Amino acid sequence: MAERIAIIDGVRTPFCKSTNPKVPGVLGEMQADDLGAHVVKELLAKTGFDANDLDEIIFGNVIQPPQSTNLTRILAVKAGVPERIPSYTVNRNCASGMESVTTGMNKILAGYADVILAGGCESMSNVPILFGKKMIDIFMGLGKAKSLSAKLDVISKFRPAFLAPVIPGLLDPLCSLQMGQTAELISKDFSISRLEQDEFAMMSQNRAEAARANGIFEDEIVPIPVGPKYTAVQTEDDGIRNGTDLKGLQKLRPCFDRLAGTVTPANCSQITDGAAGLIIMRESKAKAMGLTPIGYLTDYAYAGLAPDRMGLGPVYATSQILERTGKQLGDFDLIEINEAFAAQVIGCERAMASKEYCQKYLGRADAIGVVDRDKLNVNGGAISLGHPVGATGTRLIIHTLKELKRRKKQHGLVTLCIGGGQGTALTLEAE
Amino acid sequence: MSAFKIEVNDNGVAKLIFDLPGEKVNKFSKDVMIELGEKIAELKSNTSIKVLLVMSAKEGIFIAGADVGEIQEMLNKEGDQSQEARDLITRGVNTFTELENLPFPTVAVINGACMGGGLEMSLACTYRVVTDHKKTSLGLPEVMLGILPGWGGTQRLPKLIGLVNAMPLILTGKKIDAKKAFKLKIADAIIAAEFIDEKIAEFVDTILDDKKKKKILSKRNTTKGFMGATQNFLLEGNPLGKNVVFSKAREGVMKASKGHYPAPLAILDLLQDTYGMSLKDGLKRETEAFIKLVTTHKSVVKSLVHIFFTDDAVKKDIGVKMPDDYKVPAVNHSAVLGAGVMGGGIAWLFSYKDIPVRLKDVNWDGVSKGFEAAQDIYKVLQKKRKLKPTQVNMKMHKISGALDYSGFKSSDVVVEAIVENMGIKKTVLQELEGEVSNDALICSNTSALSISEMQSVMKHPERFIGMHFFNPVNRMPLVEVIRGEKTSDESVAKLVSLVKKLGKTPIVVGDCAGFLVNRILIPSMNEGMYLLEEGCDLEEIDKTIYKFGMPMGPFTLADEVGLDVGYKVAKLLEEAYGDRMRVPEFLGKIVEGGLLGKKMGKGIYIHKGKSRTFNEGVQKFLPAKKSNSITKEEMVDRFVFTMVNEAARCLEEKVIEKPAYLDLAMIYGTGFPPFHGGLLKYADSVGVTNVVEKMNVLAQKYGKRFEPCELLKSLAKDNKSFYDL
Repeated sequence: MAERIAIIDGVRTPFCKSTNPKVPGVLGEMQADDLGAHVVKELLAKTGFDANDLDEIIFGNVIQPPQSTNLTRILAVKAGVPERIPSYTVNRNCASGMESVTTGMNKILAGYADVILAGGCESMSNVPILFGKKMIDIFMGLGKAKSLSAKLDVISKFRPAFLAPVIPGLLDPLCSLQMGQTAELISKDFSISRLEQDEFAMMSQNRAEAARANGIFEDEIVPIPVGPKYTAVQTEDDGIRNGTDLKGLQKLRPCFDRLAGTVTPANCSQITDGAAGLIIMRESKAKAMGLTPIGYLTDYAYAGLAPDRMGLGPVYATSQILERTGKQLGDFDLIEINEAFAAQVIGCERAMASKEYCQKYLGRADAIGVVDRDKLNVNGGAISLGHPVGATGTRLIIHTLKELKRRKKQHGLVTLCIGGGQGTALTLEAE
Repeated sequence: MSAFKIEVNDNGVAKLIFDLPGEKVNKFSKDVMIELGEKIAELKSNTSIKVLLVMSAKEGIFIAGADVGEIQEMLNKEGDQSQEARDLITRGVNTFTELENLPFPTVAVINGACMGGGLEMSLACTYRVVTDHKKTSLGLPEVMLGILPGWGGTQRLPKLIGLVNAMPLILTGKKIDAKKAFKLKIADAIIAAEFIDEKIAEFVDTILDDKKKKKILSKRNTTKGFMGATQNFLLEGNPLGKNVVFSKAREGVMKASKGHYPAPLAILDLLQDTYGMSLKDGLKRETEAFIKLVTTHKSVVKSLVHIFFTDDAVKKDIGVKMPDDYKVPAVNHSAVLGAGVMGGGIAWLFSYKDIPVRLKDVNWDGVSKGFEAAQDIYKVLQKKRKLKPTQVNMKMHKISGALDYSGFKSSDVVVEAIVENMGIKKTVLQELEGEVSNDALICSNTSALSISEMQSVMKHPERFIGMHFFNPVNRMPLVEVIRGEKTSDESVAKLVSLVKKLGKTPIVVGDCAGFLVNRILIPSMNEGMYLLEEGCDLEEIDKTIYKFGMPMGPFTLADEVGLDVGYKVAKLLEEAYGDRMRVPEFLGKIVEGGLLGKKMGKGIYIHKGKSRTFNEGVQKFLPAKKSNSITKEEMVDRFVFTMVNEAARCLEEKVIEKPAYLDLAMIYGTGFPPFHGGLLKYADSVGVTNVVEKMNVLAQKYGKRFEPCELLKSLAKDNKSFYDL
């Protein structure tokens, strides 16, 4: 096996609910690169790491802000990283914040870099809304038209329907379904009831509430002065609902399939703004520099599956990584399955425990195993903390390593489902 | 040695190259102007010339203007200088007229700073071309020295670009960049500095072609287009509009100068007088106006010229003697302790100069106040279009906040701006030393506490020094650099260099309570309050001091600073210097009563927006009004002589050595009226003997605090002035 990759330290911004029609998001006026820049600055300050020692900055981001193409370059320079240090952006949808780390790992193991600052950031408050092709044609036509009559000619082709906005990322073109609709399919496949999903959501909220009360997130959060007015500093996550109970959750109406659905706004991940980052290098390099890493990344796997069942991605990736590492599911002290949807996490549990499913879809002789809920998402997940798609992957790595340390445990498995039909799994070690 | 070189090529393109020997800049002294006249005569007789390019061989400088040193020399002479002034002016006017009358077209190639006489010369050329060199700037700064552009500037500029555009440039002396000069049509073309030869050759081809030349000249017409024509008619084309323009301008000038500065008014009179007049007659009036200004208002001109040279000297002064090969290390990272009003302002300044700054406070609310203070300053800069939103965003990213010392290890300089309490400061400084590298410079922004005492608890006291900013940081140009007993020369050199890099003026002073500026200012503020105790009217005291030329009276200033802040510093000084700095009791009562000044909208005055009215609610704390025989003149004497006495003590104790530096510090730190040339200049102009005499009288009436100090007495005895020291 290859040398372990040391994760020196990692931090994240508070995760804050995005701007919605009723309430402006706390971080809603800050762009994704502003959030990312903050994380880089604070990570360097906290570790005392000299930015000159970095070889590359890699960040994950899904909905690239139109004013910041290759936003990693922008956030790195904003953060004060020397201009000579290169940077680029990766996109693997919801796993972008992991892709940045595993890409960094590849570079280091291949000898192309020694030290990499990797992370992810997303401002879902600032999703760009685009014009459709027909409207764009009118704009282009107006630009080209020289005479007044030519301009009028172009304008005469305009129809109000052209103004219909195009919102990136809502619909998966591969299966013509929204992400929430794929979760509904999984709930039907495995007959996961609304009650089960709500119970799971309640568990996520209650665990996050307890973790916040115990100051567990303070280890990873760097408070952020809130631009552009800077009248406040945001110190904690704002998606956690204290005192969540079933009664409240059951009042909500399904939002993807309004008639017969089970997925509600409360049992799926929140739409959130946030960023996270960490520093990686070879274990031997960390030792030589006298650093004490928060833990190690030992291996990773990405797997593909049917786009309309994308929520089961973790099952496929876990199967692969167990094969690669020769480990059993029971070897792990902590497991994260990103909570895109409660239905989808429960679906993963069922599929992994099902010999039939594992034989049919994964070609395994036996089931992967039963996920112990006492080890699963122990401090809540995207349902309670939110899911800034580009940043979540990095948060999961940081959080799991710090939780392993707290519990004095050794092995962690971190998985994530990816829109478009993919899954990822990373194996982590504390010592 | 010759300042000009002439080159003529085969195509008849001549170059007149200005390269003043032994100087970094080109300027017009008497000799240079005479030589220019000779060179122009030589060019005139050369029939092979088709076009003349006027150029400079200096990097980043076209022509800096007249030799101000010569003007100062002239002013310092006793007696009537009107003839000498006339010679100075006519020599320039005649030379530039000769230049204008050359039989071939002339082009000023402005690649660098083009100021005062330099711009006036360019205006006498047929064409002006500016480059986009970052140092290219144009302006008529004469008004800032209390004079007016006397070599044709007030005449040629309005004729070229119109009165409305020309007036602000002549009246305020502000510089404009190349783009703006082209927009205003002062310049006929703007070219890339890197391609100057090719582009000038192209321009020469254009002006030698009749048709193309017309196109260039037609662009100058400011009345072209609907907007231009309308504006021209409304503002300049009819007598009513013209009067509106002038009365508006007069209002603005009076507001800005409070009537203390004669030059802008003289310029306005001249512009109104000569508007529409022929150039020849206009130039004559301009000459007369110049002579009248420097003869009747000689003291103001002298004062302003004196400040100009002192400022220049401070800019070149590194504050200490260092080995010639010593190089100040760069400041790449900074940190500020305490995110209050001052800390926030200082963090803003670092970020504005693109130096990353770590801002630490004890809680996040505190940190966010510092961020907000910085953002508020940027908001104004953005509104004024000095910065783009993206630039503000980049600069705000230079500031980061913390509650711990994370990020301090990489700091090259740390500025402490925490609460003014010696015990707390000592504890924090000891703590801080364990968190920064050994060669980091540590500065305290204390306004009154002893640097040496703070040093006493430090492991490396030699790198500790006072860095006293004035409030508000973004607007006040002065920073006192305070040497403690153990501060090393290198630390002084480092800080002086940093302060300059931050765009402020450093004045090195010794360590004593209140340092220089507060030590001198505060007793005069106390004096204003004693006047109140003696029964004078509060608003009258304020008005009298304002009329003397201070930016505000003592009570307005106290409100502005914050009564609690002022009271605290005043109390510290009372402790240090005893009776002569007694703080009036009522001030403490006002503070106890919770009236803190402008920051809370209520102090001695009630502040609403920009207006202020007396706060009746403060009356109960104030001593009762009673009749007395104190005249306004005595008010001013008491206010100013208190300062003079304390300033003399500072010189005595070597808190500062040069009277000129002390004067500059008081001007930049308190707004002491520049037209007086500074506090000690003012005392000198009254006459030290007179000052001492008056103080003796005051001492008999009001007590020991007015007894002149030893230095004053000895100066008076020897019939000397401060500037003889």
